[in-house]
Amino acid sequence: MTNEIRYDLGCYYTNEHEWAKPSGDVVIIGISDYAQSQLHEIVYVELPKKDANISQGEAIGAVESVKAVSDFYSPVTGTVVEINEALMDGPEKINSDPYGDGWIAKVKPSNWDANVSKLMDAEKYKQHVATLKH
Amino acid sequence: MDLRKTHIYRYHVEHGNVVDFGGFAMPVWYEGIIPEHKSVREACGIFDTSHMGRVFAEGPEIEKFLDYVDSNDVGALTDGKGVYGVMCKPDGGIVDDLIVYRRSPESFLVVYNAGNRAKDFAWLQKNTKGFNVKLSDMSDKIGMIAVQGPKATEVLAKISATDPNTIERFHIAPLKVSGFDCLAARTGYTGEDGFEVFILDDPVAEPTKSLKIWYDLVAAGAKPCGLGSRDSLRLEAGLWLYGNDIDETTNPVEAGLKWVVKMKKPYFNGKKAIEGIIEKGITRTLLGIMMTERGIPRHGYEVYDGDKKIGVVTSGGVAPILDASIALAYLPPEYKEPGKEVQVKIRSNMVKGKIVKHHPFYDDSKYGWKRVKA
Repeated sequence: MTNEIRYDLGCYYTNEHEWAKPSGDVVIIGISDYAQSQLHEIVYVELPKKDANISQGEAIGAVESVKAVSDFYSPVTGTVVEINEALMDGPEKINSDPYGDGWIAKVKPSNWDANVSKLMDAEKYKQHVATLKH
Repeated sequence: MDLRKTHIYRYHVEHGNVVDFGGFAMPVWYEGIIPEHKSVREACGIFDTSHMGRVFAEGPEIEKFLDYVDSNDVGALTDGKGVYGVMCKPDGGIVDDLIVYRRSPESFLVVYNAGNRAKDFAWLQKNTKGFNVKLSDMSDKIGMIAVQGPKATEVLAKISATDPNTIERFHIAPLKVSGFDCLAARTGYTGEDGFEVFILDDPVAEPTKSLKIWYDLVAAGAKPCGLGSRDSLRLEAGLWLYGNDIDETTNPVEAGLKWVVKMKKPYFNGKKAIEGIIEKGITRTLLGIMMTERGIPRHGYEVYDGDKKIGVVTSGGVAPILDASIALAYLPPEYKEPGKEVQVKIRSNMVKGKIVKHHPFYDDSKYGWKRVKA
């Protein structure tokens, strides 16, 4: 049924399928292709609050499909500097482009080195996903 | 755990996203909930409902028996007519909702929820004491496919020997479909016009007839639909889901089902308790909410009026046709006026909504069976 799962090699991933990608002095965050394919038909995104101070592992929003709600846990500690407002009217962007147009927020990290040590690179994350597929 | 398989299982595993639904391997969707939902509102969709409970109820006292266990007026049925009702416990709590069809004076078909198959059959059996009747659980012996939508009649006609349009709403009649003997009832769980087709003499272990009909319906233009859209369609139509909106702790009066409880009948299970409930007055009633701010209300979320918690959402979700989020919730009766503002607690946010009419939530001149001329 499902198409091949896509991985962004420049991203670092959590067990709960969020990704974080350093870009200049911010880290962009979102959910993985595997996560969006599991949710299917995303109809609503509760975005984190701009300027909020957030911690790695904290529930800062939610992604909802027709059937299910999935909490969004921050993969990074820092301050939210930008949120993807386009998802309010176009949440399906997460389905079509989870690593691109479907990004959720940009965060100014306060301790990225400590954060990244707890994340998986694309290869490790791919192995993690393989253990979940039935 | 081994999941139970329905008649259409082979199609589901090949084409659908199959999950454990009350112990049955059932598809949530094939292409997606939203396109499947829209196909039923706009054209024709089909659902495998072979997991539902189906009982042949027969005998000289069968009408008397069914009138005793069912809240609605089974005795008023004529041959070929059906009626929606509930079975109540002596305290008025709802055992299940069901449809009873009279095939002939001593032969009825009873249809109830998949999740309650064992419970309902045991409940019916237990209540037969003193009645000269015979109940046969046919759930694994006959297939069942729902054909729903404004084009349901047209699609079903393509593979039927006679015109299904001669069957009126809430009636049942024999129909040859794909050459096989079936019963077709003009009902459904989507709010739309359509049929529930019972494929006779087709054991689930070798369901060749049901599968053939399913494939013929697909070829005739019907879109296969999963349980996801079945749920979103029934919610949009304001139809009750057993286990969410009604159960053994809710009574028909507060659930908005008083219209299926016939108090004029001399006796039926739960009558006395329901009389008491009507006399005392209800403290909560099932109401429809439409969100006016962004957010999706879901089963179990709390409903507030300012600081005061006033109830709980029993069913909620997106309404694809309305492009809005809607919910059913038990609230104090003073909230029943449409337009009244309430808030639903969605995670940590209080999100505004308003009370709306919910039978159905949509405009029934634009959607639903009433716009389709039989």
